[in-house]
Amino acid sequence: MMNSGFDRRDFLKVLGWGGAAVALSGCGNGSVEDGKETVVSYVETNDYMIPSISVYFNSTCAQCDAGCSITGRLREGRVLKLEGNPDSTINRGKTCGLGQAGVQHHYNPDRVREPLLRTGSSGEAITWEKAYALIAEKTKGVSGEEIAFLSGGVSGHLKVLLGNYLDSFGCKNHFAYEAIAPAVLRAANKKSYGVEMPRFNIGKAKVVLSFGADFLGSWVSPVHFSQQYAQFRKGVDGQRGVLIQVESKMTLTGANADRWLVVRPGTEGILALGLINALGAHGVALSGDVAAAVKGYDKARVSKDTGVSAEQIDKIVALLKARTPSLVLAGSAAEGYAHGSQNAAAINLLNQVLGNVGKTVEVAEVVPFPQMAPTTGNTAALRKLNDGLAAGKYKVLFSYAANPVFTAPGAMKFKDNMAKAGFKVVFAHYLDETALQADLVLPLDSALEDWNTQVPEYLATCAQINIQQPLMEKLHANTRGMGDILLALLKQRRAEEYKGFEDYYAYLRGAMLKNKAALGGGKLDDDTFWNETLSKGIVKLEGRVGGLSGRASAAGLTLPAPAAVDAQYPLQLIPSVNASLRDGRHTNQPWLQESPDPLTTIVWDSWVEIHPRKAAELGIVEGDIVEVSGKNGSIKAQAYLFPGIHPDAVSIPLGRGHEAMGRYAKGYGVNPFQILDPVFDKETGELALHETRVKISKAGSRVIVVKDEGVVGGMQMGKKIAVRVSSDKVKLSEEV
Amino acid sequence: MHRFLRLSVLLMGLFAAASTFAVDAQTPALTTEDDLGPAIEQPIEFPHVRHAKDMQINCMYCHTYARRSAVAGIPPLQKCIGCHQYIESVKDKPRIKTLFEYWDAKKAIPWKKVHDLPDFVRFNHERHIKRFYFQQNRPVQEVCGYCHGDVKEMTVARRSKLLSMGWCVSCHQKEHPVSAEGGTPVGNQVPWYSMKKPPADASGKVIKAKGPNDCSVCHK
Ligand code: SF4
Repeated sequence: MMNSGFDRRDFLKVLGWGGAAVALSGCGNGSVEDGKETVVSYVETNDYMIPSISVYFNSTCAQCDAGCSITGRLREGRVLKLEGNPDSTINRGKTCGLGQAGVQHHYNPDRVREPLLRTGSSGEAITWEKAYALIAEKTKGVSGEEIAFLSGGVSGHLKVLLGNYLDSFGCKNHFAYEAIAPAVLRAANKKSYGVEMPRFNIGKAKVVLSFGADFLGSWVSPVHFSQQYAQFRKGVDGQRGVLIQVESKMTLTGANADRWLVVRPGTEGILALGLINALGAHGVALSGDVAAAVKGYDKARVSKDTGVSAEQIDKIVALLKARTPSLVLAGSAAEGYAHGSQNAAAINLLNQVLGNVGKTVEVAEVVPFPQMAPTTGNTAALRKLNDGLAAGKYKVLFSYAANPVFTAPGAMKFKDNMAKAGFKVVFAHYLDETALQADLVLPLDSALEDWNTQVPEYLATCAQINIQQPLMEKLHANTRGMGDILLALLKQRRAEEYKGFEDYYAYLRGAMLKNKAALGGGKLDDDTFWNETLSKGIVKLEGRVGGLSGRASAAGLTLPAPAAVDAQYPLQLIPSVNASLRDGRHTNQPWLQESPDPLTTIVWDSWVEIHPRKAAELGIVEGDIVEVSGKNGSIKAQAYLFPGIHPDAVSIPLGRGHEAMGRYAKGYGVNPFQILDPVFDKETGELALHETRVKISKAGSRVIVVKDEGVVGGMQMGKKIAVRVSSDKVKLSEEV
Repeated sequence: MHRFLRLSVLLMGLFAAASTFAVDAQTPALTTEDDLGPAIEQPIEFPHVRHAKDMQINCMYCHTYARRSAVAGIPPLQKCIGCHQYIESVKDKPRIKTLFEYWDAKKAIPWKKVHDLPDFVRFNHERHIKRFYFQQNRPVQEVCGYCHGDVKEMTVARRSKLLSMGWCVSCHQKEHPVSAEGGTPVGNQVPWYSMKKPPADASGKVIKAKGPNDCSVCHK
């Protein structure tokens, strides 16, 4: 149609004029539409509900476990926007992008809306009565050992109810599973400091040396750490804090570092010991066992093993000596190996040698209700469950807030093993990969419709219990809150005990009021206390202070030499964690797909990060579809050349590659979880996420990578706005 | 040149076609300021005349949001019932029966919008009511009537003003008194919306001013 030189620009002009014609003839002639739209008024309403005026309610973000408090803005009874609640010491009025997308979890068009019962290969909508009756029938006469309950991390009253439900069967098989959790670190911390999660005071440190801890992006409590980081950059005593990031693949935090050092994958512990050795050589007192343990780690060897030059080691040591207190962090990149525990222990030891324990590694307060304390998830739990399923031990399997069919390494054959469970109940927001394997799918309320209490694992300056409350009416009549479901199930088992609670709300209110005095409301009457609690959304507590021990010892600390290069699979696969997508549970929120990855600016798709040198060696250019194959399968994705990665490693982000879940998730990108080698940390049994070896080859075709970054932006119009300097050329002494 | 000609011919053609189309689509004929909008059928034929004229109920008793918010809102059903549950004399009237049917079913009444501005126009009720009702002490029916016409004479409300941009501007260009009983200027600030200094009294106090004339006031 548009041939002979009639190009797109002309066409747009034409369209523009056409538009003007319409507008002109409409002008001044009453463009008001009378009687077309319906204006629906309330039937009954509260006085504070005024059309077009916003009201605000406090609640808790449920997008990850960090436990940020949020304030929802509502108009005409609909939640429109979420912001951080300034009263929370965790996030102080801020949220991350993932938290912002919480409204898309709520309004998501792909939410499950009816209880579904499997009939053959499809699901049939049934009533809740029937669903509950089915569970009662299937659990009847089943012993506690034959029931398994898989969940994500749980805390608060939900955990109490869940515990009681399982207890009613005498069931001890609660598996708390999180696909990416700092579980190795928790164990190492417990050994080194006496607590699983001390408080890391980044704001007080003058140097932060982070071994792959992406604390600005996705690590533990990123919004909290971002604010501490701002404090750290402002500096204590006028000295701006210096961030050194050591990792094999650049994270968002790495991109913000003053000094980014690439390290051979898996040798983080060796570097830590090498630093201790060098500190000793520079006059830092080392205890006898520590000195003995690091004796072999001289600069030459460490430099050879890790790829970090002796000069760099000297510079770091000089900086760490000159500025105290410092803080050393062990992130998921250091944990993710068969010797992850050893890596973390070595890094913690460095903290102790530097005298940081008690200064920047502080004792955290604990919520004085142990029954509500978080049960944190890990991957060892999944492994145990998987073994049990494989052995056909379970007659009934429940799954809540986990999607192991998507997140378990393909080699674990979780999907096949799950099929061996007699009756599988999945509580779900979406029909995700795991829900599709269920016999019964029970639809959940969204986090903005449900009641809950939450105790975050990482507590900031004080102990607190977070309140999650509905921000608006339910969107779908037949979804239920998890608390309500558990209560209904408990009533099947212990009717007498729970008959007084009409619903989870009543239970929650009752339980909180019973402990009113301990929750700081001793002087208030019940209603006042409850209303204040709800309006604040947070209960701050006098926490119990546990002890912190600085007894990291060097005993038993042995680090393996760097793994020899595997001739067949020469590259290390680093499954990277993107701040928005994390383990992929929220991929069906389109904002998260649409927001560009902070380092590559790619949207809506997966990519394989390759060092330009390696790419040149293999003849790969950006956009080439490459096949990444390992012992446990292969995936294909577009190549992206990225200088921020070790030349012997490739990286693929986690979270994409769904085969189900919804229209915004299904079919976008690839899922690296599927090709992970099932290697486990030797001490904790955690899945070693970074231990997969792969090779890559070109698969033939080439695409244009969809990203925000463009050639022009990359060249900065020749203006040298931000000049690139390789890390060897940076003079640290001049910089800081 | 040749290409330009070809484009202009095409342009003219499209322009003509689009214009014809637009005129065709504009079913109501050209309106003047005094033309009424179309009669609109509502779920209940609400008699404004009964409430506003016979009963002398203040407009803002029912349209309570008008003074507090950008939109006037339709009163919640509970407000109608609040009175009507005590008015035995009309309980058997068909309209009231329908009203109670909605109430018993707890269903909202799907009223049709009578004064529906395009989405790119933001009219603020609160601002106008503050200005003319609270500060100028004009009678409420007069104030609402500036835009809504003589509603107290209507049953179902019907648009009786043009509500076009030119019509809004024609009022904003008039000089309106800015103070109540010669008191302080509106909101303590001198309205200084046009390039011309507004008229002042002997002491220099602004006594009259035009309405705002910035695009962004209505097109946000
Ligand atoms: S870190 Fe982000 S996603 Fe996690 S709780 Fe806080 S705001 Fe929500």
